Amino acid sequence: MAAGIQIENLSFSYSEEKEVLKNLSLEIRAGEKMGLIGPMGSGKSTLLLHLNGLLTGSGTVKIGDTGVKKDTLPEIRRKVGMVFQNPDDQLFNPTVEEEIAFGPLNFGYSPDEVAEKLKYALEAMRLTGMEKSVSHHLSMGERKRVALATVLALDPEVIALDEPFANLDTPMMMQLLDIINSLSATFIIVSQSLLPLLSCCDRVAIINHGRIVAVGPVKDILQDEELMRNNGLDLGYYKKILRELF
Amino acid sequence: MRHHFIDRYSDLNSPVHRLDPRVKILLAFLGILIVVSEPPGRLLPFAFYGGLLLVVLLLSRLPFAFLLKRYLILSPFIVMASVFYPVSLYFAEETQAIAFHQETIEVALSIFLKASLSLFLLIWLISVERFHILLLGLRKLKMPKLVGTISILMYSYIFVFWDEALKTTRARESRTPGKLQRIKLRTYANQMAMILLHSWERSKTLHHAMLSRGFHGEFYSMREPGLKKADVLFLALFLLLFLHIRLFTDPLFIQ
Repeated sequence: MAAGIQIENLSFSYSEEKEVLKNLSLEIRAGEKMGLIGPMGSGKSTLLLHLNGLLTGSGTVKIGDTGVKKDTLPEIRRKVGMVFQNPDDQLFNPTVEEEIAFGPLNFGYSPDEVAEKLKYALEAMRLTGMEKSVSHHLSMGERKRVALATVLALDPEVIALDEPFANLDTPMMMQLLDIINSLSATFIIVSQSLLPLLSCCDRVAIINHGRIVAVGPVKDILQDEELMRNNGLDLGYYKKILRELF
Repeated sequence: MRHHFIDRYSDLNSPVHRLDPRVKILLAFLGILIVVSEPPGRLLPFAFYGGLLLVVLLLSRLPFAFLLKRYLILSPFIVMASVFYPVSLYFAEETQAIAFHQETIEVALSIFLKASLSLFLLIWLISVERFHILLLGLRKLKMPKLVGTISILMYSYIFVFWDEALKTTRARESRTPGKLQRIKLRTYANQMAMILLHSWERSKTLHHAMLSRGFHGEFYSMREPGLKKADVLFLALFLLLFLHIRLFTDPLFIQ
């Protein structure tokens, strides 16, 4: 099952001097895969943290029909799976198996249900056979897959990914794209790598200075050179290299 | 970053490893209590305690070199505590005469033996069970939730801290031609500050990751502890042996 996301007039600041999100509004349909792009420090990761209730600003954030509030946090955290930029910030259990089981156990699933969810997440992320591996001894690609598996084990309606394609080699990236495309949950994907978004997202939103500047189909947005350039996302450099190469 | 875990032998498959964590916790703590309650100066019972501990260690299949290494790291504190007793008597005028009498030396020796056995029992405890399973066992033994939460966070942060230390050391060494030649103190101080700041940041993110997956201060494991007959028998047998040594070796000692 997938849930839609509705963000209305969201503002947030870490300190009084600088507002990171400014009256931001965005709507993502249930089951949609939305890319979120923008220059460094534009508020992308901060926005993701609001979906799971890890940060709360002024304005409203709704996941399906449930508003993100203090008293709905358990429900929200069951609905929204969050994968952090650096897997080392996400993995804190000694083995892969324990890491994946952590969420279901905390949400009170029975041992049989936990075992079932563990099996599903391992299979979905192609990690079967690595249950007893020590998380910290895995490669970056494997750790990224384990981080996503920890979230899949909760069968969330919304999956928020922060820079999932960073530090991945091409085969690993293709594998991750396959996995994302095979899932029916609503996705919101923050990425500095723009090209993979073409293969997995329905729409992208550009965020700059804490505001949504444009939303639209991936191709339309990426082809709008002026819009991209004005928001620090110039693809001209890659175009030039590709032209020289081929 | 790759480093060994504190509880690196907790995954061995020995009869002791398979015991319920509560049995191991109770055996270690009650064992320490019995050993520590020995009156000062009684030395013979320690030979029996030592023998009993050896049996437990053999059953656990832990490498002796590893246990000894851990013990040696902390042993200077034990040696200092033992030596301090006669030395403190020597420096007081009224007790100077008895500072190095046989009885005083025996008391110092018993301090050394009590502390050593207690330390071995603790090293054994953290080596035969995963840290978070021990916490789960302690929670089952009614340890307050808050103490458990603080302990698991501190345990996780050791790795974060260690990781950051390794990273910053690598960054420092990559820009030095070997040993630091100048401004050593300032460099180390700066590195220390950076390690603390980075660890603080990463700890916050880790805590976020835990919260986002439903963490609410309670501990769970895929292997829920359940006391079996063998657990109760093991605990009863070893505690009775400890108590037997404690209560019935006195006449032997007097003779």
